[in-house]
Amino acid sequence: MAAVSEWERRLEETALAPIRRTGPRFWALVAALLAVIGWGVYAYWVQIRDGLVVTGMRDRISWGLYIATFVFFIGISHAGTLISAILRVSNARWRTPVTRMAEFVTVVALVCGASFVIIDLGRPDRILNVFIYGRWQSPIMWDVLAITTYLTGSITYLFVPMIPDLALFRDRLGGHTSRWRGWLYRTLAIGWNGNATQRRSLASAIGVLMILIIPIAVSVHTVVSWIFAMTMRVPWDSALFGPFFVAGAIFSGIGILIIVMAILRRAYHLEEYVTEKHFLYLGYLMAAFAAIMIYANINEFMTHGYKLQEGVEFHFRQLFLAEFAPLFWFYLLGGLVSPIVIALLPATRSVRGFVLAAVLVTVAMWIERYFIVVTGLRVPLMPYEPASYTPTWVEWSLLAAGLALFALLITLFSKVFPIIAVWEVAEDHEATVASPDTARRAALEPPKLEGETAR
Amino acid sequence: MNDDTAKGAAAEQDRACVEAPPHPVTDGSRFDRRRFLRVLGLGTLAVVPLPVLPELLRQAGLAEAPPEPVRGQGEPARMRDGRIRQWTMIIDLRACDGCQSTGKPPRCTAACVEGHFAPEPMEWIEVYEAELPGGGTQFMPTPCQQCQNPPCVNVCPVGATFSTPEGTVLIDQERCIGCRICMAACPYDRRFFNWGNAPVPPESLLADYSPEHQIPAKKGTVMKCDFCPDMARTGTLPYCVQGCPNDAIYYGDLEEDIATNGRVLVAASRFLSENDAYRLKEDLGTEPRVYYIPGHGEAVGRDAFTPDRLPTEWPWMERADGAVTWQR
Amino acid sequence: MITITRRSARIVAGLLAAGAITVSLAGPALASHVLVQTTTLGEGTVGGTVNVPVTLQAADGAPLQGTTVIFYLHASFAGVEGEAEIGRAMTDENGVASLAYRPRLAGHHEIRMEFAAPAGGEVEVTSTAIDVTGGGQLYRSPAGVDVPGVGVELLMVVLAIVWSILFWVALRLVAIARGGGEVGTPEPGPGR
Repeated sequence: MAAVSEWERRLEETALAPIRRTGPRFWALVAALLAVIGWGVYAYWVQIRDGLVVTGMRDRISWGLYIATFVFFIGISHAGTLISAILRVSNARWRTPVTRMAEFVTVVALVCGASFVIIDLGRPDRILNVFIYGRWQSPIMWDVLAITTYLTGSITYLFVPMIPDLALFRDRLGGHTSRWRGWLYRTLAIGWNGNATQRRSLASAIGVLMILIIPIAVSVHTVVSWIFAMTMRVPWDSALFGPFFVAGAIFSGIGILIIVMAILRRAYHLEEYVTEKHFLYLGYLMAAFAAIMIYANINEFMTHGYKLQEGVEFHFRQLFLAEFAPLFWFYLLGGLVSPIVIALLPATRSVRGFVLAAVLVTVAMWIERYFIVVTGLRVPLMPYEPASYTPTWVEWSLLAAGLALFALLITLFSKVFPIIAVWEVAEDHEATVASPDTARRAALEPPKLEGETAR
Repeated sequence: MNDDTAKGAAAEQDRACVEAPPHPVTDGSRFDRRRFLRVLGLGTLAVVPLPVLPELLRQAGLAEAPPEPVRGQGEPARMRDGRIRQWTMIIDLRACDGCQSTGKPPRCTAACVEGHFAPEPMEWIEVYEAELPGGGTQFMPTPCQQCQNPPCVNVCPVGATFSTPEGTVLIDQERCIGCRICMAACPYDRRFFNWGNAPVPPESLLADYSPEHQIPAKKGTVMKCDFCPDMARTGTLPYCVQGCPNDAIYYGDLEEDIATNGRVLVAASRFLSENDAYRLKEDLGTEPRVYYIPGHGEAVGRDAFTPDRLPTEWPWMERADGAVTWQR
Repeated sequence: MITITRRSARIVAGLLAAGAITVSLAGPALASHVLVQTTTLGEGTVGGTVNVPVTLQAADGAPLQGTTVIFYLHASFAGVEGEAEIGRAMTDENGVASLAYRPRLAGHHEIRMEFAAPAGGEVEVTSTAIDVTGGGQLYRSPAGVDVPGVGVELLMVVLAIVWSILFWVALRLVAIARGGGEVGTPEPGPGR
């Protein structure tokens, strides 16, 4: 028992540490991110003033980097759903240190993704028209409904399991922290004190949410894919788009989660809780999803390529051989094949290896969204010369600002809210320690990863 | 409850912490099952998402008829006996040579650009040069196809583009939010976006905007050929029909089954069937209202192997302040 | 003495026969009058079909077969006034050419028929009139997607279910907040 309390005390201290101490590096990072965001705000102001002509989009390729980034962020938002919900439903105990970060990433990614749609609008001042004159037959309306539902559900799903940890913060930090923080924890902990009634309510709420959030998340990326699949553009006219995008979303979500996990683990010394095992399991999941993505791509290209109907040959040429070939082959080899190779080879099956794979996956998935949007619009509809598209400094600035906003929000979250699900991790630990199968389970633990020293 | 029972219950909760409680919650909780269901029912009504609430009210007849999407749209064009006209266009490609014989850029496009102050580089009716399967090329003046199953109308989230009773498709630039999903959806490349301040003559900014008379163009919105409905209603032919030197474009009404190119009258259905008329991309199911009679300008002496037409020009000497232009 | 020899009789008969043959062949050309019969069409309705028959007979009453008759309707549209060809028909063995005409505008209309007299090349005309009534709209603009059974109601049901579940979760949170009055174990977390 003493060992458990000591372990638990260490866990709580680790969770509280970011709140207690803030070093200069944190402020430097925040300042740098704010600078990038500020530059993005300036770029957006230029766009508002002069119109979308400051971007590289034109009549023939009328969507570009903004919509690709929107789809990318919505895709990343599936990180939380997979880890938190699916692994909770399947009662995979190893998820517990990771769920909070995953849920953060989801909420922040949704906010960033939604802002890119608004950035892409020609008349953002009329955004309320969507609510006043909304047509339910429009894929964009389905998008609005699905994303607002998912955002609400995700915020709820972030908040509800956090209540006991917020109560921990309230109890341990009250009086030792700034007044607004104390007020925040007190309010958000909604009077949690761990009694039986509350525990029952919390359990049932989490139980319902974790099941509900899965179909919501699937529907979100499906309707996002339908924005493309409900048109008659040759590369988009595919019944496979829904599942393809959902698989891609979960895939890119795992990638970004590995990256966020690696960064937060090092920054906040979570090595005892977020272990190599977590990277290993997530890496395996990522490799599995890479295989699914390869399978989906084979389906798409084989079914179109066998028949070579109008426009398909042009599309294949631009994608495999000509203008977009470097992007496509990087996506295929760097984004889909390399995670599998890294997971298979013992030499690369390490935290570093999987973080590298995750970086490749994240970049490759952004590239995939980019060339899906641009090549889809580039196939000529009538007898004219194919147009070309190059993003301008405004678009790149806003992309950088979006990524900086993503990083900034996660950084700020980690300084205000508990980044690790203390009560769940503690529960998992106690169950492991108390279990008579501990010795047997320990023997079945996967071997230590290469290159990783115990910390 | 004494401590042991509490601990036992807590331990039980531990193992089942991800499952719902095994028995109904009745002790001390204010939410018993019946009340829960009542609240759930009220909650269902209370949380219907706002975006489609206006639509629901309209469908239930509790709200007034949808706000007219068009400001300044007149009554639908009607025949003498009160039936609503169904505008159509028939383009006789036997008479279209891309204005090669005139030595100028296509006159239909020029007339439309000048009549509507179409911003550069918009060609609302665009003369494409298509390759013929057997060799040679044909010129195809392509206005908005005014589909009866319009992909653009289907996808618009705010109903800014809509079908009129006459079967034409218009755009309300006062409602358009500039999302451009309609441009992705149109299979004929017939929609154009005002990427910046439109390069139009300053006097055009003084006109009264209406979806039937798209002047002045509004930045950040979509525009396209509208079949000149304001002119057609009064019995005037559209600019492109008037502008064609070979009278290749016919404008007509399917309801009265009549069409004219400004010189001769034809019975539309007969003209179409006798001349093997076809529509563009028929297999897409968009049901366009623009018909083509196959040809390559032979009626005006063009040989199919004479290529190229001159590029369109936008003739304004002066542009409004802050106007820019862009490429397609 | 006039002697009608058999030989001269044969010559005269031959000449007469030749003349008769010539005249019969050239008859229709020489005889520029083709008898035309049209019937008054009475009334038609918009959207219905009216038969417009015209009977052509040679001057001698024999029916003219195989002559193409072109039908024109006098109309005015978009400032252009003139005639639109509404059909063609060929006379049958009874000399009747009949067009199945579908009137599309109510009112009094003139239909003009043109035909080329056989072997003559002269274009002859005749006309008839028809009064058309009625006027149900024939074309309706369907304006967009209409899939039976899939309507805003289905969408609303799905959304209502999801949002009411979220609302129920909110009620759970209210329950937690209210449940804070009870004495609980000192340390937070359901595992304690």
